[in-house]
Amino acid sequence: MNRPGEKNSKFLEYFFNISSLGTIGIFLVLIILLTFFTAERNFMQPDNIRNLLFFGSEFTIIVLGAGMLMIAGEFDLSVGSVLAFCSFVFVRLFAMGLNPFIVTSITLICGGVIGMINGLITTKGRILSFIATLGTMMFWRGITVLVSGGIIMPLDTSGFKFFTSAFIGKVWYFFPSQAIWLILFTVILGLILHRHRFGNWVFSTGDNEKAARSMAINTDKVKIICFIIVGFLVAFAAVIQTLRLGAFSSRVGTGWEFKVVAAAVVGGTSLRGGRGNMLGIFIGAFIIVVIENALVIARLPYEWTYVVFGIIILFSVILDLFIERSRKKVI
Amino acid sequence: MSSNESNSNSKELLRMAGINKYFGKVHALEDIDFKINEAENVGLVGDNGAGKSTLIKIISGYHRAEKGQIYFEGKKVRISSPKDSRALGIETVYQEQALAPDLSISRNIFMGREPATALGFLRKRVMDEESMDALKSMGLHLRSPNINISTLSGGERQGVAIARAFYFEAKLVILDEPTMALSVKEVREVFNFVNQLKRKGISVIFITHNLHQVFIISDRIVVLSHGKKLADIKKKDTNVDDLSEIIVRGTIG
Amino acid sequence: MKKSGLSLILNYNINTPIVFVAIVLFFIIFTPNHLFIDLRNLASMGKLIPDLGIVALGVGMLMICGEFDLSIASLIPLCSYVFATFLMKGVNPALALIILLPVGAALGFINGMIVVKTGLPSFIITLSTMMFWRGVVFILSRMAPISITKYIKPYPYFEKMLTGTIGRFPLQVIWFVGIAIILGILLHFNKFGNWIFATGSSKGAARAMGINTNMVKTTCYIIIGVLCAVVGTLQTVRLGSFFATQGVGFELKTIAAAVVGGTSLRGGVGSMLNIFLGILIIKIIENGLILMKVPVFGVEAFIGLAIILFVIINNFIQRQMT
Repeated sequence: MNRPGEKNSKFLEYFFNISSLGTIGIFLVLIILLTFFTAERNFMQPDNIRNLLFFGSEFTIIVLGAGMLMIAGEFDLSVGSVLAFCSFVFVRLFAMGLNPFIVTSITLICGGVIGMINGLITTKGRILSFIATLGTMMFWRGITVLVSGGIIMPLDTSGFKFFTSAFIGKVWYFFPSQAIWLILFTVILGLILHRHRFGNWVFSTGDNEKAARSMAINTDKVKIICFIIVGFLVAFAAVIQTLRLGAFSSRVGTGWEFKVVAAAVVGGTSLRGGRGNMLGIFIGAFIIVVIENALVIARLPYEWTYVVFGIIILFSVILDLFIERSRKKVI
Repeated sequence: MSSNESNSNSKELLRMAGINKYFGKVHALEDIDFKINEAENVGLVGDNGAGKSTLIKIISGYHRAEKGQIYFEGKKVRISSPKDSRALGIETVYQEQALAPDLSISRNIFMGREPATALGFLRKRVMDEESMDALKSMGLHLRSPNINISTLSGGERQGVAIARAFYFEAKLVILDEPTMALSVKEVREVFNFVNQLKRKGISVIFITHNLHQVFIISDRIVVLSHGKKLADIKKKDTNVDDLSEIIVRGTIG
Repeated sequence: MKKSGLSLILNYNINTPIVFVAIVLFFIIFTPNHLFIDLRNLASMGKLIPDLGIVALGVGMLMICGEFDLSIASLIPLCSYVFATFLMKGVNPALALIILLPVGAALGFINGMIVVKTGLPSFIITLSTMMFWRGVVFILSRMAPISITKYIKPYPYFEKMLTGTIGRFPLQVIWFVGIAIILGILLHFNKFGNWIFATGSSKGAARAMGINTNMVKTTCYIIIGVLCAVVGTLQTVRLGSFFATQGVGFELKTIAAAVVGGTSLRGGVGSMLNIFLGILIIKIIENGLILMKVPVFGVEAFIGLAIILFVIINNFIQRQMT
């Protein structure tokens, strides 16, 4: 039987590690700073919080998948472009008058297929994932602008109240539905990553692919599945975002690829793969969202975001390195 | 069962006949015949490029020989992937390919063979308890099954990898340079682990450069050079000086 | 083992030259009125290609030693800003350029140091530095362009040397080809070039042979930094102004050019001549498609596809050869 206190520590072991504690710490510090130092304390106003949850959910859902992919040792830089493309697909199908649930299903499948293509190119084509997805990023963005003509396309969802509320409505008058979906995905992916056999394969593949292979783990299949998950989540985020915005714009998602990686890294995910945890990824995403939001509130020019994000990535990456090195010294 | 003498009556476990392997134009292995019996410990030596790794990779399913046959437990077999090799009961412990440094001991031991519920969820308690037992039977006493491999010493890591083979009741364990970069004390530990394998009747192929080590641990020694087999001698029929003579000169005698 | 000069330079990759010839023929035939081969078009391409090309040569060389540099997209406008600022303060442009070269080298040095000291994936490191420097440029310049035409008027020779023409033939091409030749000699016929290949092919083996891989990589980054300074200056003089959005998109295009030029993503494989041709191929496709009235984003999609296809093809050929 478990010794007293051991059951709790096991739970902690599954979901936390040193990096995670650091991430949570940063997050709390950030919240406190922002609450007190923004003009008129408008960071913590309900309007702003609701905005955060709206946009934050869309972004974080994608980061969950991208983070898991990074743990498996690969990157997906095409998320921003695929977001735009799926959004286009969604609006077009909707305009054709199909049942909204069918439209959603097709969009989600579309995202999954695109993810699978990314996975196949990377594994079977033996291309470094960041180059492969760099290529697909350019490709899907180009296609999206090409077929949409670059114009904004409005979405008419009147008459589908139940449908829209399932995705972007409010539960108990406050919680946005997106947040519910987000939590659902976080829990499911967290369980898979930390408590499921497949999760062990993901970690093994990312940490030492040769060892995983010699243990007869099909690392190609593991990676492809992770790519499919990312594609699916991107499509889901596209659905939520398009419903929220009420329109498709070919510029959505630009620059997201870098923010997604930054979020995962801040959340304790190692760039080399094999290390990371779902809770950290979740919080890391919110840190990025909060920072961006803070920059807007502080009325700093948009240009500052680049400096800030650049420093953040570098900083968390180097911090993570120090933690890794100091842990190794403890023998 | 005597553990230091190769019993000529013991059953044949693995036999490779006429193995030839090409990498493009390079003839990596030329007409290699290799045999190992049950509970036998064979040392595989030779300089760099001799073909030791290639031979091993054929046994473990990474490469496939262009010519030649493999017999396992008397039956002809085809090993076309690591899965096939594992299914036969062959475990290979490569230097860099054995363990994942950032994963815990228990996750490493059960990598790819995780005990799980019907839905695939890990049976953590089983994993933790069994891995501790496996380590103990090796004589390795570690704090917890949840510590990361990266915090272990070189000797302990070899212990974990060997414990994995032991636990899954391999019939043949291949150790590729297991004592490379280890301290004297750690080398001793690794020998202990190998002896545990012997005691359980598991055959071992021990690859090394170190002739002194191979003499301590093996029953029989096979020398490869430039893809050809130079010698296949029982330990009691030779000594370290003769062996190095063979390797350097490339001929017998 | 002595290999024949040409096969060595091409690093056994002949599909890039073949594709180059094919692409050129395609666009000569299929552009409306064969506009592609029109002298004015060629002259205009000659002015534009070196902007990307000069720095792409350095990026390709870095990739051979196994690393990436995405920050060029921001280093170019940064160097351009510094140059323009010097001019505004009345500095002689030639002097400004000379001062700028070590500045570029220093920026490259920073990248290199971070990459080798942390041992972390270079594309993330340079991604961050790219973002950082882009932000710096945006903030310093407040997004406002700086016109330099009046500052350069007193120095017509400088402008002519950099961006002038002999008849229709743009001088930038000479700079581009010249740098390509210098780097090519360095890469293929010099000891240092051998170190680059060794480092990219197997860092461990290179180290064991006594090669200081850290120094090799850092030097490549420094070279890129210097090339960014050159391109920044070139572009500014040609455009007559500094723009904060210079260089956007270059990070991908230079990698694409190197990849199309047969450079392996894993390092250790590549050839300067093929990288040179790869640059031409990418820009020619861009130019040709635009002449054929393909919308701009269609071009981008095509380049993305080209990257993937080329890497797959190159990988395939590599494997056939071993």
